[in-house]
Amino acid sequence: MSKLFVVLLDDKRVNAIKGSGLEDKIEYMFGGNLRAFTMEMPDEKANTILKEFDTARTDTRGCITDTPLAFNRTLFEEIAKAKSLGPEVVDNTMARLDEIKELAAKESDYLPAPDIPT
Amino acid sequence: MSLRMTTPPPHGGRLEERVVRDPVLAKKLAKGCPVYDIKPTLSDKGVPVRNVYREIMSICYGFFSPVEGSMKEAEVERVLNERRLLNDWIFPYPLVFDISEEDYKQLGVTAGDRVLLRLKGKPFAILDVDEVWRIKDTTELAHRVFGTPEKNPEVVQEPFNAKHPGWVIYKSLNPVVLAGKYRIINEPKFRPPFDRFWLPPLKSREEYKKRGWTTVINHQTRNVPHVGHEHLMKNAAYMGDIEPCHGIQVNAIIGVKRKGDYPDESILEGHEAVNLGNYIKPQRHLVTFTLWDMRYGNPLESMLHGIIRQNMGCTHHMFGRDHAAVGEYYDMFATQTLWDKGIPSFGFDKSVCEVEYGLHIRPQNMREFWYCPLCQEIAYSESCGHTKEKEKFSGSFIRGMVGEGIFPPRVIFRPEVYTAVVKWWKEFNFPFCNQNYVVQQEQKLEVDLPDLDV
Repeated sequence: MSKLFVVLLDDKRVNAIKGSGLEDKIEYMFGGNLRAFTMEMPDEKANTILKEFDTARTDTRGCITDTPLAFNRTLFEEIAKAKSLGPEVVDNTMARLDEIKELAAKESDYLPAPDIPT
Repeated sequence: MSLRMTTPPPHGGRLEERVVRDPVLAKKLAKGCPVYDIKPTLSDKGVPVRNVYREIMSICYGFFSPVEGSMKEAEVERVLNERRLLNDWIFPYPLVFDISEEDYKQLGVTAGDRVLLRLKGKPFAILDVDEVWRIKDTTELAHRVFGTPEKNPEVVQEPFNAKHPGWVIYKSLNPVVLAGKYRIINEPKFRPPFDRFWLPPLKSREEYKKRGWTTVINHQTRNVPHVGHEHLMKNAAYMGDIEPCHGIQVNAIIGVKRKGDYPDESILEGHEAVNLGNYIKPQRHLVTFTLWDMRYGNPLESMLHGIIRQNMGCTHHMFGRDHAAVGEYYDMFATQTLWDKGIPSFGFDKSVCEVEYGLHIRPQNMREFWYCPLCQEIAYSESCGHTKEKEKFSGSFIRGMVGEGIFPPRVIFRPEVYTAVVKWWKEFNFPFCNQNYVVQQEQKLEVDLPDLDV
């Protein structure tokens, strides 16, 4: 059975996919205040993700969660690049596995802060 | 019958204030005493899990009234057997000043002696030793502190072990206990931002009076508040006497952190942002903290929380499911059970508010808040029937969103609260506590001490 993967969207991410045709696939939560894509992950790709990242797990909704943040960011970059939510996006993301793992290893020490005035 | 509630008396009837502010007297008290430099308690992996300075602060500034110092063996036994001090007042945990055999040999003190305790190399407090005793087996002590499924079947679901941070604290204690009363002789100065939120019981009671508050409900926290927390505070505060509580106090527990927690600074400023953003107006909302290395003892921790907040002058305390809990060691309603009908195996056959020498603060046992897309509001789980449609405020979901740098919608995190998180994220290069933060924080602590030449 395939698994799901939720990709959260903020204004910046929504702007990045403007005109791609993906706008229609945005789902709205919390009264329309939170936007996300829900991607379907074929078994084989879900298993690869679960195998490659030891923190990753499947929750009770069948969603893969707790993947490294670097994976989540890269996945979105590939979605925006391919203008697609298809399985090739996961392939493109997994093709950058070394880069993701390198960033993920640093995630416990450093995460770039959002560029907002504080 | 009076319909109006009044500020409750301190637990034990009198607020402890064990702070010497006269430097001449302080020097006189410390003169010629053997000196001991306070060290963090380390787990068997060498990780700091507690610093006794936080207990000394909370005792001497009255948060733990009527406790006056490190407990004698008989008092620890009574606390473990009946959850009462030797003077009969209820109390959940043993509190001891523990040192290694090696340090004890070097110190060379016995009952009747006074020890000068230094913190960060500066004079801090004195301990008048009444008794020296030894903890025979720290594993046994740790089990007795938190309970076992056999002895406490009403609430303990599984045996405690090294995955439980509170159990690890007691397991990691040194064997020699110097029992006796503490007095702070050199008041530490809190570093910003802690200094703005330091309101020990005498001061908090003064502050309530100044604000005209007689009914105050406390919110316990170790978290940056999301909108679910905000609604918990607002709704729980409807309980008062003939009108909702005048004040909502947030009292954060500040102490050793666990990886993945939010930094203390974000927690305090995140809560402050709730009132700076007027989601709860500042006139009704007060952010404070207590120093304590949390034991995560669910019902026992809630008893300590009740004591602290009653001493601060609160009339009410909100308690949710899994209060101050980690893992599934306790039943998720253990705290609410303690405050509703008591836990006989812990020594209470009725609510801790109804037993002799018990508490005056009233519990407000609450369930859960979620977002309901049908009600189109933040709904209370016992009111909203749209259980299939509910959208829960999941801590790990929100952490994931924060970590990914997604600006959370204001229905989940108020922008002012998120900005406070990002402010400290920039400072520590990380939004949550990581190994660097934990190690640095335990070196810096929350305070600095002025010079005091003794």
